[in-house]
Order: sequence, then C-alpha cells, then structure tokens
Amino acid sequence: MSFVWRKRWFLLLFPLLLAATIWQIRVESDLNAFFTNTDDADSKLLSGLLQSGELSRRYLLVVEAAAPGQTDAAGVAAFSGKLVQRLGKLADVEQVWPASQPPRDWLNAVQFYAPYHARIFSLNPAQDAEAIFAIDSLPQRAEGLKQVLLSPQGGFIKAIAKQDPLLLSLNGFKNLQNQFQPGRGDGGALILQSRPAALDSAAQEQLQTAIRANFDDLNQAAGQAFRLSMAGVPVFSTAAHAEISRDVTLVSTVSSISVVLVFLVLFRSFAALHWIMLLQAAAFVIGTLATTLIFQQIHSLTLALGASLIGICVDYPLHVMVHSAKHRSSPLANVRLLGPSLFLGGLTTVIGYAAMGFSGFPGFEQIAVFALFSISASLGLTRWVLPALLDKTDLRVAHLPGIGCWVDFCGRRRKLLASLIGVAGLLALLALPNLRWMDDMQNLAMNMDELKQQDQAVRAHFSSIEPGRFVLIQADNFEIALQRSEAAERRLQALKQAGVLGDYHGLFPWLISQSLQTENARVYDAALTRPFQDAWFAAVEQAGLSTEKLAHLQPAETSDLLPETVLNTPVRHILSGQLLQTQQGVALSIWLGDHDPARLIAGLQGLEGTRYFSQKAQLNQLASQYRDRSLRMLAIGIAAMGVLIWLQQRSFRKTLLTLLPSLAAVLFIFASWALLGEELSFLHVIGLLLSVSLCVDYGIFFMENRGSDSGVTYNAIAASTLTTLASFGALGLGKTPTLPILAMSVSLGVTLGFLLCPLLIPKTSPA
Amino acid sequence: MKRRLGLLLWLVAATAVFADDGKLSEVLARLRQSGQASFQYMETRELELAASPWQAQGIMLTDAAGTLVKLQLQPSRVIMAISGDNLYYWDAAQNRRHSMPIGYADQAAEQILVFRGILRGRPDELQAGYELAAEFQGQGWSLHMLPKPGENAPAIDISGDADPDKRRISIRQADGETTEYRIEKADPQQAAAYTIPQLLQEAGGE
Repeated sequence: MSFVWRKRWFLLLFPLLLAATIWQIRVESDLNAFFTNTDDADSKLLSGLLQSGELSRRYLLVVEAAAPGQTDAAGVAAFSGKLVQRLGKLADVEQVWPASQPPRDWLNAVQFYAPYHARIFSLNPAQDAEAIFAIDSLPQRAEGLKQVLLSPQGGFIKAIAKQDPLLLSLNGFKNLQNQFQPGRGDGGALILQSRPAALDSAAQEQLQTAIRANFDDLNQAAGQAFRLSMAGVPVFSTAAHAEISRDVTLVSTVSSISVVLVFLVLFRSFAALHWIMLLQAAAFVIGTLATTLIFQQIHSLTLALGASLIGICVDYPLHVMVHSAKHRSSPLANVRLLGPSLFLGGLTTVIGYAAMGFSGFPGFEQIAVFALFSISASLGLTRWVLPALLDKTDLRVAHLPGIGCWVDFCGRRRKLLASLIGVAGLLALLALPNLRWMDDMQNLAMNMDELKQQDQAVRAHFSSIEPGRFVLIQADNFEIALQRSEAAERRLQALKQAGVLGDYHGLFPWLISQSLQTENARVYDAALTRPFQDAWFAAVEQAGLSTEKLAHLQPAETSDLLPETVLNTPVRHILSGQLLQTQQGVALSIWLGDHDPARLIAGLQGLEGTRYFSQKAQLNQLASQYRDRSLRMLAIGIAAMGVLIWLQQRSFRKTLLTLLPSLAAVLFIFASWALLGEELSFLHVIGLLLSVSLCVDYGIFFMENRGSDSGVTYNAIAASTLTTLASFGALGLGKTPTLPILAMSVSLGVTLGFLLCPLLIPKTSPA
Repeated sequence: MKRRLGLLLWLVAATAVFADDGKLSEVLARLRQSGQASFQYMETRELELAASPWQAQGIMLTDAAGTLVKLQLQPSRVIMAISGDNLYYWDAAQNRRHSMPIGYADQAAEQILVFRGILRGRPDELQAGYELAAEFQGQGWSLHMLPKPGENAPAIDISGDADPDKRRISIRQADGETTEYRIEKADPQQAAAYTIPQLLQEAGGE
C-alpha cells in the first residue's frame, strides 16, 4: 500500500476508533474493585461486603453544639429533629432516623412476629423455660401489661398482646431495645440511608451538598449554634473518587506534557511531534477500547497507569527517528533495520506487563491487557504507519551531552568498573536478608487520615459495633446456616458474660431456624399446663384486664415462620449487611462490639461452618499473597524474557549479557531498600518487574546494535529512558500510594539499567 | 322567580354559616389563654383490653413555650411530657422510661399533641386536621372536633359550663378506645408544689 493510502486509512480509522471508544467506555473509580476483587471466595466476600447494598448507602451524621455550652442536649435533640424532617424530604434520601430510635417501620416489624410467639421466644428454650413460664411471675406480668397498655406505647403493644398476651414474641427483641437505648447514642446522632449507590459519586456528592445546605439553612436560623459531621462509606467513596480523579488528570497531563517536552527538546520538530502524538493517542485509544470491551469497564487507575505507557510506546518510533536523524536515512529503511529488535523489545515489555497481570492483583489484570493492546498497536503503527507519516519530515536530533563520554569511559575502564560492580553485587546479595516486607495493606490505601479521624469521632456517637470484624457463618442452605448462627450466638452470649465481648448483633430472633422453632413450640406447649393457664387467667382478672381477650392462651402455631416471609417485610432493611451473597450456599454474619479476637476465636472453636472474619486480616493476607505471587512472577517474567532473547540470539552468553543490566539494577535497588529499611510491598516488586521488562529492551537494542553505531544506539536508548522517566515520574505526583511506589521502582530500575548497559554489555558488531 | 328563590336560599345558608361561625369564635375565645397554667385532672380510660374503665388523677402543667407535663399521682406516679419536639415518659413503679421525638411516637403522641393544643387554648391550631363545630345549650357549651377524612386522629369533644375554670374533654380513638378528662384550674397552693423543669428533669432521668 502506498504511503498516501496508509496515511489516509490512519486518519480515517483513528476518529472512528475514538468515537467507538467514547461510545463504549465506562470508567470505574471503585478502589475496592482495583484492590480486592479477586476470584478467591473470601476476597469476593470482602469485596461484596465493601459494596453491600444498604449498609454502604448509609451516612452517619452527628449534630453537636458549635462550641461547648452553646446549647444543651435538648437543644441539640430539637435541632436534629428539624434536620431529620428536612432531610427526609430530599429526593435522594430513602430514610433518615435518629440513631437512638430505629425507624418506625422497623419497630412495627416486631408486631409481625406476634402470631409466632410460641415458636420464637427463646434461643435456649429448654434452659429459659423455668424463668419464662414461672407461675409466680404471672401477676406481675399481667400488671406490667396493663401499665404498658396505658403508656405511650399502648397502641403498639395492644396489637401484639391480642395475639400474644404473654408478650413472648418480645422476649428475643430485648437486645434490640438495648441497641437503641436513648442516651447510648445521643440526640444529635442520625442515620441517613441514601437512594443512590455508594459508588455513584456524582449523586453522592450532590446529596452531601444538599445535606450541608439544609443544615446550614437551619443553623443560620439557630444563630450558628451547631456543627455537623458526616461519616460512612459514601463519604469515603466520594473523597476517594475526587482524589483518584485528581490523580488521573494530574498524572495524564504531566505525563503527556513531559513526554512532549522531552520529544521537542530531542527533535525540535512540531511536525514530527504531532504525528508521533497521533500515533500514541491511537495506541492509547486501542488499549482503552480493548480493555473496556474485555472487562466491560475500565478503572480510572488503569487510565492513569496507561498514560504512563505513552512513555514506553513512544520508544519504538523514537528509536526509528533517532537512527533516521543520525544516519540521514529514511524512516522506512530504519523501521526495516530495527524491526526485529523493536519487536523483541515490545515482546519483553508485554511479558513484563503480562507477569504483572498474573500477580493476582485484580487492577493489574486490566493494566496488562491495556499494555498488551497499546504496545502491540504502537509497534504495528511504528512498522506500517510511521514511515508514511514521516515520509516528508526532515528529522534532526539533539546531541545529548555526556552520552558518548559515558560509553567511551565504560569501554576504557570496563575491567575496573566490572570488578567494582561485581563486588557491589556481592555486597548487595549480603544485604538482601535485611529486606522488610509490608504487613499492613492499609499502608497502600489512600491517605485519608483526616477523614478517618472524623469517621472515628462520628462513630463514637453510635453503637459500639465494630465495622469490618464479624463472625462469619457459611452453609449449603439457609436452614443449616441459621442453625449454625444460633449455635454461634449461644457461644457469644457466654463470651459476653465472660467479658470477652462487649455486644453483638445476631440474627435471632429476626430469623429463626425451623429446628429452633420446633423446639420452642415443644417447650411452650409443655409449659401450657392447666395450672399455668389458670394462674394466668387469675392474673389477668386481678390486673383488671379483659379475660375474654387476654386470658386464653392458645397452643403453638404449627406452621413455621419462613425466612422468605420475614425478608418480605422491613426486616430485610434491619438485616442488611448480615445476609451475604456468596458463590456457593449461604453466608450470614454476626456483628461484634469491642472484643478480644484471640479469646473470641478460641470461644468459637469446634463450631462447624463458623469462623471469625477480620476485614483487615483478610486484606493483609491478600497483600501477602500478592507479594509472593509478584516475586514468582518477577522470576517467571525474567525467565520468559531470557528464553525469548535466547530464541533470537541463540547464544547463552549474549542472552545473559542482555539481561545483565536489568538484573543488576534490580539487585542494587533491592539492596538499597534493604539498607534504607524501606517497607516493601508487592507494588515495589511489580515496579521492578516493569523496569526489568523495559531495561531488557535497552539490553536488546545495545546488544543487537543494528545501526552499527553504539553511540547512536545509546542515544536512542537515552531518548527512550528520558521519555520513560518523564511518564513514570509523573506517577510520583499521585496521592494514591500505588502510583508513587510504581514511579519510584520503575524510575530507579530504568535509570540504573540504562547506566549499566554500556558498562556490562561490550560493544558488538551488528547482529 | 327562580332567581329570587335561589337568592333567598343562598341568604338562608349564608346566615346559618355565619351564625355557626360566630358560635365557634365564641367557644374558641372561651378556650383561648396564654402563659403558664396548672390544672388538676381526673382521667377515665376505656381500653379494648381492659375489663373495666381505668381511672387516674393528677396535675397538668403548661407554659408559654408549649411544654406540657402530665403528672399522674394516682394510682401510681407516672410522668408524661412533651417539651420541644420530644416526648418523655417515666413510670417509676414499673421503672420504665422512654424519650423519643414526637414525630416518631405513635397515636398516643398524636393524642397528647391535640391535648396540648386544647390546654393552651389554641384548638384553632388543629383546624388543619379537624372539622370544628360549636354548640350552646343554656349555660353549657361544647366544641366538637371531627378528624377530616383521611386523618388518623381521634375525635374530640370539649365541653364546659358557666364556670370558666372547668372543662370536660372526651377523646375517642379510631379503634373505639375512649379517654375522658375532667379538668379544672389547680388551686395556687397545689400549683406551687410542682414546676415544669423539675418534672421534666425527673422524666428525663437526669
């Protein structure tokens, strides 16, 4: 195909590709999807928890006096009451309620259990029967019933008492009463459930603005006497979204501008620049489209790291241009000359990214796919389109100072320098045992200390249930899961009495196994003796209550209270976050208050399908898995690159020499980190893996030296190094810790690898 | 002819309406008051689940800010109060204490809100949810408050006689339960024995 048609096809297809990408693209900013969403069952569970429906949509709001003594508790409660009414009217608010009072429909849901009172009254029916059915207590219970009927709760209790005169169905809900005791939270603690998903950042931002506007409005009328604090998953997710968006914009912009500047300094040609940038844009668009089509979405961090790929993809045309400029030959001739080296270099880089994708870290799978398509596209475009685009462009390249001197110096002092490197290598090996590995994956999370402090301050106003640590119950079906959950709750009751556990939120009596229902019904029917019935009749009569409506106790219902029936009521909102979706079977969680993990784990021992789950421990375990796999992948990646180089060079010595600069760079960087006491994560290893895959390219170019001029080849490598540093260096500006770690690892690796190339690889004749 | 007849009918109807409106204004004027007030009350409740009417007596106190405290002294000491937007309940004998926003409480709170409007002499505040009708019979007068269609509120009758310090208030819930209060101004000595802040403190458990 003629150059004219190649150019036309490129200029025609690129806008079409761009349009298709804009049409298909769906950008994801959920950090959880990037960090934890793996195939591992526990990781999936963790990911599901972080994204779980209702809980993740809840805000915790705290209204307090703006200054001590500015208002009293009653003032705060009154102001909060007004705020609740205002916020309840917002379109994006599903429900808002004071933390000390469950929503009215939750409380009303308790009435639903009245007909089943005989089947649900106790977790330990046989053990509790003596106290619950004590004949002596009946006069007091009847009197208590009368008093509660006369109280403001009379209407609520009446509906229950007509079906359950002994109020047995309320027995299991005593814990709920404790949970919502006024004063445990305070008048200013509110819970708001939003309609949009927690990760719908735009909607959540709007809602947060509306919440603040309504508060400010009321507060202005109250003389600025109050202040408002917010916490909850949506607060973190919007903050994270804002930070990531900032990172993506900053990194992409700085990376692109840096590469452009390096390019302009090197070639001083806007004509060449716009063609090269068009090629890189096309490679970026192809990577984005392919990743979106394969994963149905693309993470914003993939785009940020993808932007850094510009610095790598630009290497291929750059090599061609440097050779064309230095030798005053056509780009087509140089593309043909350098083609095999470029292809092998591209292939080793793809292997590096593929190894990174196999490290198990979910976010890197996307980046690997992105890199595969972008690098392939860049190589293809360099091979077939670049010569057409630069056909009539006059190429000149700036002389990089010091490059020739360094090559000459290395040539002259090779033996001495090589010996020094050898000694340094031995010392570096000795330092390796001092490497420190990062145990806490939280260190890789975004720095949100201020937000975390605010979160802790807000949560102090709510119940003491800890987020992220719970008892996990798994089973093949709901009935077994409930039986296991009930067994766990019995243990937890004992642990609570022993002081191991402050409090817990279980599923009993909201959901009860059929087995326990049968046991309750048996105990109830056995307790309903003639003397008991007569005593109750007398107690009701004595209290002045209607014997006709309250004195006749009916035998237990024979039909079970089924979970699906319960979950059709507002109870499903109450249990939100405790019924977990898993790939196989059913998983339930029991939330825990303050506890001693070791004693709690010991206390739960022997219970089938029941274990203690710590989100933090799970994250750290994941980090450790990623680290081990990334180290394996580093080794496998280097081996695969070595095999590929050997296949082309057919020489073990040459293969080793090609790999040597990058391997030495990795060794020295690891040793430096060991000596500096840097805590290493899998991200450091992945960064080095990437730097190896890039440095190997330099080794290949230097070793093959297809232009027969080491000076020109090293100049081209220097230009590549500069663009790589420009683009990866920009990652260092990101606030998401992933980005600076990768920036540091790759930049260090690439710089050292570049400097070591002429030192460790002797000048060769062209391949 | 038809036009004259129509005009006549309109005049008769309008006169009746204005006459009724006049009675209502007079009754509302009798009820209207402001500032702090103390009443002693006798309460009789007929509950669906009780065998016989239940009776209690005590003191009610209101202030200009709209706080209402109902202190039941017999048969046992129970405090029910609304202050600001909160409802407080304290039953010393049963050791049962509640506090909640009024909007959160059920029909019992609705009833006490209505009651506060009446005691403060502002039944006109309730006109949004009620149809009001006034009646005079000799020295006696009465105000009938019927919830408007769709309102889940109790029906209320307030009546009195020549003595401006006495009232009889009858409340009928939608479920048929009734409460009757006979109230009269407390004598100064009795009124001085209790203060709203002290009773609110007791009810709130502070």
